[in-house]
Amino acid sequence: MIALDPQVPPGPLEMKWDRRRFSGQLVSPANKRRIKIIVVGTGLAGASAASTLGQLGYQVECFCFHDSPRRAHSIAAQGGINAAKNYQDDGDSVARLFYDTIKGGDFRSREANVYRLAQISTQIIDQCVALGVPFAREYGGQLANRSFGGVQVSRTFYCRGQTGQQLLLGAYSALCWQIERGQVTMRPRTEMLDVIVADGHARGIVIRDLVTGRLSAHTAHAVVLATGGYSNVYYLSTNASGCNVTATYRAWKQGAAFANPSFTQIHPTAIPPAGAHQAKLTLMSESLRNDGRLWVPVSPSDRRSPNEIPPSERDYFLERRYPRFGNLVPRDVASRAVKSICDEGRGVGPGGQGVYLDFSDVIRQQGIDVVRERYGNLFEMYQRITGENAYEVPMRIYPAPHYTMGGLWVDYNLMSTIPGLFVIGEANFADHGANRLGASSLMQGLADGYFILPYTIGHYLAMVNRPPIAEDHSAARAALERVEARLRKLVQAKGRQRTAASFHRALGKILWDHCGMSRCAAGLRGALEVIPVLREEFWRDVVVPGSGEAFNQELEYAGRVADFLEFAELMCHDALHREESCGAHFREEYQTEEGEPQRDDERFAYVAAWEYRDGDTPALHKEPLNFEFVQPTTRSYQ
Amino acid sequence: MKFTLRIWRQRGPNERGGFVTYPVDDVSPDMSFLEMLDGLNQRLIVAGEEPVAFEHDCREGICGSCSLVIDGVPHGPERGVTTCQLYMRRFANGATITIEPWRAKAFPIIRDLVVDRRALDRIMQAGGYISVNTGGAVDGNTLLIGKEEAETAMDAASCIGCGACVAACKNASAMLFVAAKVSHLAMLPQGKPERTRRVMAMVRAMEREGFGSCGNQYECEAVCPKHVSVRFIAMLNREYLRASIMGTRIPARSDAPHGESY
Amino acid sequence: MAVVNGEEREEMNRANEFVDSVGSKLVASLAGLGLAGFVIFHMLGNLQVFEGSDAINGYASFLHDMPILLWTARAGLLTAAAVHVGLTIRLALRNRRGRPVPYALRRYRAASVASRTMALTGSLLLAFIIFHLLHLTVGVIDPSAPDGMDVQGRLDVYGKIVHAFRNPLYVGIYVAGQLALGLHLSHAISSAFQTWGIEHAALDRLFKLAGPGVALFVVLGNLAIIFAVFLGWLHP
Repeated sequence: MIALDPQVPPGPLEMKWDRRRFSGQLVSPANKRRIKIIVVGTGLAGASAASTLGQLGYQVECFCFHDSPRRAHSIAAQGGINAAKNYQDDGDSVARLFYDTIKGGDFRSREANVYRLAQISTQIIDQCVALGVPFAREYGGQLANRSFGGVQVSRTFYCRGQTGQQLLLGAYSALCWQIERGQVTMRPRTEMLDVIVADGHARGIVIRDLVTGRLSAHTAHAVVLATGGYSNVYYLSTNASGCNVTATYRAWKQGAAFANPSFTQIHPTAIPPAGAHQAKLTLMSESLRNDGRLWVPVSPSDRRSPNEIPPSERDYFLERRYPRFGNLVPRDVASRAVKSICDEGRGVGPGGQGVYLDFSDVIRQQGIDVVRERYGNLFEMYQRITGENAYEVPMRIYPAPHYTMGGLWVDYNLMSTIPGLFVIGEANFADHGANRLGASSLMQGLADGYFILPYTIGHYLAMVNRPPIAEDHSAARAALERVEARLRKLVQAKGRQRTAASFHRALGKILWDHCGMSRCAAGLRGALEVIPVLREEFWRDVVVPGSGEAFNQELEYAGRVADFLEFAELMCHDALHREESCGAHFREEYQTEEGEPQRDDERFAYVAAWEYRDGDTPALHKEPLNFEFVQPTTRSYQ
Repeated sequence: MKFTLRIWRQRGPNERGGFVTYPVDDVSPDMSFLEMLDGLNQRLIVAGEEPVAFEHDCREGICGSCSLVIDGVPHGPERGVTTCQLYMRRFANGATITIEPWRAKAFPIIRDLVVDRRALDRIMQAGGYISVNTGGAVDGNTLLIGKEEAETAMDAASCIGCGACVAACKNASAMLFVAAKVSHLAMLPQGKPERTRRVMAMVRAMEREGFGSCGNQYECEAVCPKHVSVRFIAMLNREYLRASIMGTRIPARSDAPHGESY
Repeated sequence: MAVVNGEEREEMNRANEFVDSVGSKLVASLAGLGLAGFVIFHMLGNLQVFEGSDAINGYASFLHDMPILLWTARAGLLTAAAVHVGLTIRLALRNRRGRPVPYALRRYRAASVASRTMALTGSLLLAFIIFHLLHLTVGVIDPSAPDGMDVQGRLDVYGKIVHAFRNPLYVGIYVAGQLALGLHLSHAISSAFQTWGIEHAALDRLFKLAGPGVALFVVLGNLAIIFAVFLGWLHP
């Protein structure tokens, strides 16, 4: 039975983090040298945490499955990073960033965490500048900002379209320094496959060396997971092909509560899948909706080319349904509208998965050069992928799973329900509630890694200073055996010759249909019935060539799919139990007559934290969300 | 569309490799090159054969994982893209396509088309950073950086570390990579205090890894998916010359600001 | 505190003993530029052959009358050549080790023919220079060559040139030498700007043209002499 104690310090909102930093115990420098910390993952959160912990004097052992710590999927973030610097003097403040984030998350996040995030946001920019991140500058040499994601202030810092990559290279360079100093031992091409828990504390991990296939146990005083999100559970997503849930899911099975697993963000403007071969979805900037108009033919049977369809036979469905905001409604609203149109059979393009995003009006009014200047690179990317010239025929877009707000439950100190197991970045559930604002994921990853975890982990280490267990401790051996057994099962399962990818695709379809942008009880119950069947087929029929004792990409992948097949059920349980619509979670039963989501603060103003129970359905624990400083309001865009 | 693929297969670093020919049909022109290989691998797995190992991750041209030499050119026939951004409509139906790994002494083959690029990380560890502690950074606007300098630094920083420059170079030189990293930091005021030590340390690290030297042929620039300019190599040479004149010899590794205090 | 282990330190020392490749290239290109300067000077001086035997023989005796300067220059050239050849051979060997397994298929996008044949043209050039020194400076190649003085008792350079380039065999060898020289210079000179870190947005085109320009200038000058003799425009 787990207890959810959020550990939020008392006192006024703006004093909480200061108080925690003051009340936290410190580890003496001499002791730090003797303390070993494991960090798994080298994205923004992992790299910034590992480098800062190394700089503080801890011995850090850092793991990533890529060939280099610089390749984590944080690099793909394009838009920017928010910070309440108010350099534009346009009315921004820590309080406003806090409020926007809480509201954007549809009042399903913890006030104290979000406020701290807003407070720290300003330090992140300074730290990144010091590390040499080449942020965009004004002619006078000051940092440039843009407005992003529909907020009313310009608080987003950016490096062309490469903000994520540049921030990660900054953290990676700091990590390189600590590796050079001998403070961090970097182990690329290793995958964490289990957590070692002894005496109720996380004491290490089991990893597989992806080159040799060798399994080994690594023990330490504490373990930090920075292993990212799980959008790939949908098979097609904007995530990198390697992104997976394995680390957090295995930690869940060892006792860490998983919070709000069904809170997944679907981005409206991705390039639609072209066929069954499609391996990933490529995101197009949301800014396209500033000038493009979304439409589909009025008649589902209309097979004419888009330019031949007269305006009277076009349905500009966002403008029709949301006359006030039109094509600029928020991500979740736009995504749902597109999906419902396609579900009616009115979608365009291969498989009817897509709607037109048409620029012909703006080209006619403002000229092709204006459009080219604004979106030239995006049109080019679109043409490269689809082979179509969007200056002449309308683009086609379709929503894509993008970011997961859910993650392992953590308290204010970023510690999970397993003492000594810390979770940072997208891997935890903390700060975005039911929906994340644009340019906030980079902020959260770096806040956790550079500024929060290094403080809070010190307190834990000062309080619980036990030497690491031996690598052949019974708990370590048990974990190794669990991993070995599972791998053996995968390599031996050679039934009806189906590939892991085919199961993954089937699972993705189930989730997309029933636990995607809109969910209903019947659909979720149905999913909960078919997922175990699919899982059974997987273990019976999957074929994994080669052996476990070598470089074997298919074995890595099959293991991740196996975890997705279990984790998907947890998502559906969470989505089914939450009988309200909030943020990215839309339950068809809970909407107004106009189709607007209905949040239920009476019954569901809590974090749903799920506990693993062997052979049973997961157990629900609730962390109530008390809004002391802001009043929940209703989002409306009609 | 139909193609004949000649793919380099090699089971391990010390095993003999060779080309194996695979016919593929049923290829859609809308497939990416990697999706075409995915399709081949699915077929091989079902047939009980081992799939072709190749590196990939983000599949949107930014992580730098993918690394195929296609018909004699790193990242293939299209300019300014990574392998994952290459689409099959770029190829003539019926063509024979030769696929090889990055080839360099410093990039040993792990399996098939996957190579070990840790040499690039080790160059970075030698000096590709600014030694500042977390916390205590001054306000970002305290350092004024002109727009043009910031943009040029960004041009250099846009390197994704894929190693195509090494793969394309006749001498397997890593000069464009090192130049991009050195130039990015040398352009910015934050990077200036350590510039002398940095360039020397990184050049020496590059030497230790067994990369060749620059022949000023500019094949690297021509295959770089991010169009990193060879002008940064000139800048690296300048930095090197400057550092030589400034008289630093091998960097003292004991100059880390920590450590002695306790 | 970073610890440097013994093996690493040894490696660092080894790296320190020898100049690394960036430094080697700087030195090699400096020596090469010295040689290129001589080649230009040599060509310009020899153009005096068009002014008749008196001019060119006078020029030669003017140079020979300053033995200290002459031998200093020769020693300098020899040193530059030794440094240039030595370092570039070392670099080339190292470069070859950079890719032990070659590509089965290789397509070039940017590399010019000149840049890809630097080792070849360099080796040919070295062979040609040795031949040229033995032929016209030392005079041991062609026993039929006039080895005399002109009427004023000066070394008869004019006579030697005219004798040599009436023979199609020597013309062939010298034309081949010029081809190697031209290719080598055309990459080398533009390349030197890059090696010395001289880049400039507006002048880059100029730097790129400098190599082929200088190469063409030198080669045309030298070929003019050869063919002027061969086609009978310069009389004995």
